[in-house]
Amino acid sequence: MSTRNTPSVVRRRRVSALAMGVALVTLTAACSSQKEGAPSAGAGGSASSESCSGASQAQAQYTKAWSQTATEVGLSKLTPVQEKVCQVDTSTWKKAPKSGSKYRIAFAAQGPTNSWGLTSEEAFKYEAKRKNVDELYASANGDATAQVDNISQLASQDPDAMVVVPMGDGITGQVKAAAAQGIPVVLCSGRLGGDSGAVSTVTRQYELLGTMYAEWLAHKIGEKGQVAILSGLAGVPTAEFQKAAALKAFAKYPGIKVVTTQYTQWSPTTAKKVAANLLTKYPDLAGIWSDSGYGDLGVVQAYTEAGKKVPPLTGDANNAFLKAAQKNPSVQFALSSFPPEMSTKCLDVALDAAQGKPVPNFLNVDSKVFTNQQKDKYLRKDCSDNLWVPSTMPADLLKRLKLC
Amino acid sequence: MSTRRVLTMLAPLAGLALVLVLAAVTTPGFYSRGVLELVAFQAGLIGITALGQTLVLLVGGIDLSIGAVVGLTTVVVATVSAGRGQQLPAAIALAVVAGAVVGVANAALVLLRQVPPFVATFATFVLVQGVITAWTRGAPSGTIPSVLRPLGSGHLLGLPVPLWLFAVLALTVGLVLSRSTTGRRIYATGSNRRASQLSGVRTGAVIAGCYLTSSLLAVLAGLVNAGYIGYVDAHLSRSLDLDSVAAAVIGGIALTGGKGRASQTVAGVALLSVLLTWLIQLGAGPGAQLAVEGVVIVAAVWVQSTDWASRLRRRGSRSGPSPASGPASVPAGHTP
Repeated sequence: MSTRNTPSVVRRRRVSALAMGVALVTLTAACSSQKEGAPSAGAGGSASSESCSGASQAQAQYTKAWSQTATEVGLSKLTPVQEKVCQVDTSTWKKAPKSGSKYRIAFAAQGPTNSWGLTSEEAFKYEAKRKNVDELYASANGDATAQVDNISQLASQDPDAMVVVPMGDGITGQVKAAAAQGIPVVLCSGRLGGDSGAVSTVTRQYELLGTMYAEWLAHKIGEKGQVAILSGLAGVPTAEFQKAAALKAFAKYPGIKVVTTQYTQWSPTTAKKVAANLLTKYPDLAGIWSDSGYGDLGVVQAYTEAGKKVPPLTGDANNAFLKAAQKNPSVQFALSSFPPEMSTKCLDVALDAAQGKPVPNFLNVDSKVFTNQQKDKYLRKDCSDNLWVPSTMPADLLKRLKLC
Repeated sequence: MSTRRVLTMLAPLAGLALVLVLAAVTTPGFYSRGVLELVAFQAGLIGITALGQTLVLLVGGIDLSIGAVVGLTTVVVATVSAGRGQQLPAAIALAVVAGAVVGVANAALVLLRQVPPFVATFATFVLVQGVITAWTRGAPSGTIPSVLRPLGSGHLLGLPVPLWLFAVLALTVGLVLSRSTTGRRIYATGSNRRASQLSGVRTGAVIAGCYLTSSLLAVLAGLVNAGYIGYVDAHLSRSLDLDSVAAAVIGGIALTGGKGRASQTVAGVALLSVLLTWLIQLGAGPGAQLAVEGVVIVAAVWVQSTDWASRLRRRGSRSGPSPASGPASVPAGHTP
């Protein structure tokens, strides 16, 4: 009989397997925060462009956005991430409306999975109506896989142009196919890595937000101390690119130690649980870098309930957090928004491309940046928690959406 | 008590001990008051839903709509009350009615249309999520009346209120299962529905009652969570389905029905709560948390499905008389 299968050998194998399992679980848990959510594509982001002429105005506007942001939060300087802004010649797409007298613009939207998504698409529809444009709409329901089908279906209807709110790099092939079919595609409120074939990318720059929050926090804590990073959803570009920019900015300060990176799912409940853990594990946190006002709600609650002073924190500017901050005047923060109504700018660019007017390959959407000192100016007591402030949407739309 | 039953009951406790040791080694501050409070809160919230899941599992079903009911409850309370305490009773009443409708719908699909429980309750999960999205247009908003805060954030004798709620409910469910006719009928229905019917048990009513109870406990969990954060949270429902199933299965409740005790669910809830809190303390990302949870569930199912009595008998026959008792085919966990 072979000795390979004796009971003692089998037992030893099982014990080894069990030990390896436990070790694997521990290792996975310990290492995961370092690995999860790493951006899958290079920072890329800009749409393709062969010619790069006549873009000095767009380039200047991009650079100015960084210097203006620095001024708004009291920083002496913010060094812009290098971004080559070009003016794209769209004369090849110039044509009369393909069907009827109106242009038909396709909108591959995120879908109303949250208040941001709802506001984004409603603002787009409002602007389309105002500009007398027919809209073809498809909702991805927040899912990149669903958006792959959406883009193919929209392209099959041969629109004059297409606006896509990218849900992930997985849609790049469909965007390329639509562009190859002769449809000018505008990426809106997000971007794709590498050359996607899109004519333009219109978004609030992730690096600007992530860097600005980090620099403000570094300045606020005297460039030293422990910092926690609370990011939104692992793997989602909006969260990952901002986080990467923040880590890069913090790395410049030898006195600052990023002690942990956690995900809040952009949920106040999850953020509160995470913050309660931070309180016990890192009681001396000097600051919290967060990309979400909803997450900040949970953070403030956790600290307040524990009777601890809330460390300076950052996040996007939603009305719910400002209302909470109103009750907690000692909380120090810097906020900006990723305005959902930037979809109207995306429509404008798509329409320009369909009409053969030159468009920038990258358009940074400006939005106000402010600190706790200006919170009274931006708080909208008369409006819903779901409002991103300051809002540039017309009053009648805000009312119809029950935002104000 | 059969060997399998003893091992099934000891496994989560052994797992708990292992995680507690690992936590002590890897996160020195794990036994601080703050962290233990987090564990207690987590246990309270997961435990309330896990008890409902336990009842459904015992009758051979599964409830995947729990998370949706939790989310629906917060949306109903926030929308109807609009943060006003006076409107809270009406809001809670409406949330209870909504939860009951989901429970009855689950039972109706399973009993009247013979839809497999997994499919039926997943369908109601999707349906409820759709209703929430359509009703709120994807953007639920509103605040929760402050009078509800103690339910989620309050303390009683130094322990979080959700833990007390879980303790009282676990005791009640434990007594019902072990000491009442209803409990015997639940076990009988889950073990052999046909035989139970022939014995005069109204198995339809028993199964429907379990689905209804599960939904109502999910409503309570929704109120607890609403009290914890004070806002409508669109992301609430994502994890509680998995957590409730995980806690029950880790504790040793059989997915095949008819086997398990409330005390086992309590052990599973304790293990899962400690595990989740430890992982957050370690700085583990959401992917790792899910992966580890999955590994623990697989381990629990493996322990359950292994014929320990036969194995021990075989080993005993090689090395002398065995203390193991009872054939492996005897159903474990029955408490009639």
